[in-house]
Amino acid sequence: MPLENTAQHWGWLSKTLHWLTALLIFVQIPLGFYAESLKLSPLKMDVFVWHKSLGMLVFMLLILRLLWRIKGTIPEALESKRVQAGLARAAHGLLYGLMVLLPISGWITSSAANIPVKLFWLIPLPALVGPDDALKSLAAEVHEISVFVLLLILILHIGAALRHHLMLRDNVLRRMWF
Amino acid sequence: MSKVTISITALFCLLNTAFVWGTDWQSSPTDSHLYFAPSYEGMPINGHFKQFSVSYQTDQQSQPSRLKVKVAIASADMGNSDINEAIRAVDWFNIANFPEAIFISEEFVTDTQGKLLAIGTLQLKGFVQPVTVPISWQSLPGGKAKMTGELLVGRNDFSIGSGEWASGEQIGLAVKIWFDVVFIASEIDL
Ligand code: HEM
Ligand code: HEM
Repeated sequence: MPLENTAQHWGWLSKTLHWLTALLIFVQIPLGFYAESLKLSPLKMDVFVWHKSLGMLVFMLLILRLLWRIKGTIPEALESKRVQAGLARAAHGLLYGLMVLLPISGWITSSAANIPVKLFWLIPLPALVGPDDALKSLAAEVHEISVFVLLLILILHIGAALRHHLMLRDNVLRRMWF
Repeated sequence: MSKVTISITALFCLLNTAFVWGTDWQSSPTDSHLYFAPSYEGMPINGHFKQFSVSYQTDQQSQPSRLKVKVAIASADMGNSDINEAIRAVDWFNIANFPEAIFISEEFVTDTQGKLLAIGTLQLKGFVQPVTVPISWQSLPGGKAKMTGELLVGRNDFSIGSGEWASGEQIGLAVKIWFDVVFIASEIDL
């Protein structure tokens, strides 16, 4: 399997980054709700270390992904209808935006809450802002709204992929798989 | 000025100093700071107490004789209203039952490096434990002075963070405390 994308195919780096991110996101969403539901305890703090570490990993993978995307080719849309192709592009753009907004708003929430973070109990994450209750609430609100927008877009994204695979029987899902 | 006035003034000064027992220093709340920092996974979380008072007495030879610090625990601010609320709980400060911490020292020694140490007791959350506070003293203009210092206190000595928090694995056992307190002097007369 080639490393680089072509006009028809995704290379293995793009595929790996897509599915690794997808896996992390599917862990992150329940993990975030679980962490929030716990009462203050050592367990809650450990669950949050996982949530913040995996979330920052998503962010780092995203940077790599965008750099790779800017540098290389992107396969042409298989969707022939203009509207659908446009919707797909908009959804992908939104997903990229949310993958920035979620980690950054989470990071700001943490910093404004005056809670230091060590990614995977190893790498200290610098504070983005000083302690600030109002900013903490605002950033947490942005984080939460982003989660719901993400869930909505993902339903469309996954639904569209399945529609292409099962109903239109084209190559959209197959060319993203290995 | 006549010789008589000068001699009378001199006499008064002499009498005056002879009757001064020492100096009573009271902290000025607006210029004084008392900070504390527990650690989380080895990283400090800074907080401070908004309400506290310090009184310090020195004798005729300007030697310290008594230091007393009173801290309103409920005034602890850790930069996060949720944490400020959480530390009121029984496992932490149990503020409903123990709203105040008091440090008292009447024994002062100088260590090998010439640093002044106040040896005393800290009363906190119903425990009374020996604590030594190193003190630096610096005179300021206008009859004021500044006291600074830094020490580590073991939170388990006072059962702060008991139960599942007691191991110190996440929230470290040593808590750093540091302060800079500005004092205003008044003489203690007979
Ligand atoms: C079961 C889950 C998922 C399936 C089946 C799926 C499927 C696909 C497929 C087939 C494509 C390729 C579209 C094309 O070639 O035109 C794609 C692209 C994309 N997917 Fe997913 N995906 C899933 C989960 C996710 C998740 C969780 C995210 C991120 C939050 C995500 C973000 C993206 C993005 C941003 C693109 C566009 C890639 C680009 O143009 O650079 N996907 N997905
Ligand atoms: C891929 C990225 C992420 C996803 C999908 C995600 C998802 C979630 C979800 C579902 C929740 C629970 C619902 C809510 O209150 O918002 C949550 C909460 C939270 N997340 Fe994330 N998160 C991500 C990244 C991060 C990062 C990188 C951090 C910090 C460095 C972080 C910090 C937090 C915090 C502090 C909360 C609790 C918010 C509150 O107090 O209301 N998250 N996250």
